[in-house]
Amino acid sequence: MSRLIFGVCLTALALLVSRPALAHHSFGAEFDANKPITLKGVVTKVEWTNPHSHFSLEVKDDKGRTATWVLTGYTVNALYRTGWKKDVTMKVGDTVTISGWRARDGSNSAHAREVTLAGGKKLFYGPPAGTGEGGSTPAVKVP
Amino acid sequence: MTRKLFASIAAAALCATCASPSTNSTDAAKPAATNGVPRAADGKPDLTGVWQGGNGRRGTWEEANSGLGVGGTGADPGAPANPASQQVITDPAPYKPEAAARVLESFKRRGIDDPAGLCLPLGVPRLALVGLFPIQIVQTPTQIVILHEYMSVFRVIPLNAEHRTDVAPTYMGDSVGRWEGDTLVVDVVNFNDKGWLTGTGTFHTDALHVTERYTRVDKDQIDYVITMEDPNVLTKPWTVKTTLMLREGTHLQEYVCAENNVETAHYERILKEGVPYQR
Repeated sequence: MSRLIFGVCLTALALLVSRPALAHHSFGAEFDANKPITLKGVVTKVEWTNPHSHFSLEVKDDKGRTATWVLTGYTVNALYRTGWKKDVTMKVGDTVTISGWRARDGSNSAHAREVTLAGGKKLFYGPPAGTGEGGSTPAVKVP
Repeated sequence: MTRKLFASIAAAALCATCASPSTNSTDAAKPAATNGVPRAADGKPDLTGVWQGGNGRRGTWEEANSGLGVGGTGADPGAPANPASQQVITDPAPYKPEAAARVLESFKRRGIDDPAGLCLPLGVPRLALVGLFPIQIVQTPTQIVILHEYMSVFRVIPLNAEHRTDVAPTYMGDSVGRWEGDTLVVDVVNFNDKGWLTGTGTFHTDALHVTERYTRVDKDQIDYVITMEDPNVLTKPWTVKTTLMLREGTHLQEYVCAENNVETAHYERILKEGVPYQR
């Protein structure tokens, strides 16, 4: 049942979207909050790195074609504080499902907000859409 | 136009590292607390501990970060989300018109020129208000040390001392402190012009003067009031009032931002290829 899904799960994802916070890099410069995506695939690489962690997912579409996606998320410190543990929570070979938002440049890259792990447990992998791009209101009055 | 944007984010990366001394704010030999405020042996309120800015909830890190916001576990979806640091701004920042235009331009560019994107120190007070990362305050009778997990930056703040004149301008400036009653007042000068104050695009010049006031009002909370003055870009002093919340049991971790900052290259690619991203 593994397949590529360009879902427009707006309702579900809207629940995950919260107030953007200044935290690190600009979400909006790289990813598009209007392009939600759900992917199910096999983990082929896991990178626990700062300022952002990444993992790769081998995803098959309905026609059996395989594509590799790169998912971006929190810094290592934040992952540990939100319940992740290196080499334990998610390993190469695991089948997982992610929900998040696609990169603006159309590449096989996405910001992973939530990961449904092989055992069914769900954990946040990255912050809500909009993080790090300045919030909804500028610091100065708009003329 | 995109080339101009690209040029605007070109800079070098820098990360400092620091040690994390152990702390103990529950020494039974210390004077009795008032309103739950522990006091140091010299009678001053003891600010020692690990704190979180940008999140006014009480409790441990896990309890206070159980919502759906940045850094939240989602264990309690109804819990308030960690607010954006911009939300400490209750009124528009008093920038001069031409400077405000520059701040607004950065906002429209979604903070792509953020020093954080280059793994640089964020400045004062901004670095303390990033709720995703804790800070640690270590207090002695003669100096205060603030350790920032984010970017692994430290501040050494001598008490009752004069500003140094033999150091170059820096992102975090040169700090000296003094006690005014139960409030720690920190005076910060000698900044470079590469940081942001708080909020996307809130740039400043090397004329910046920051006055911080730390008042521990109870066991869990420090009222943190910051006044920023920069006559080159601000029309008047800009005061922001926020809090730092105690996070007992939380330990600072190493954070090396430059390890794998691939997002910078991604920004460059977006700008080079003209991928629309502005708002």
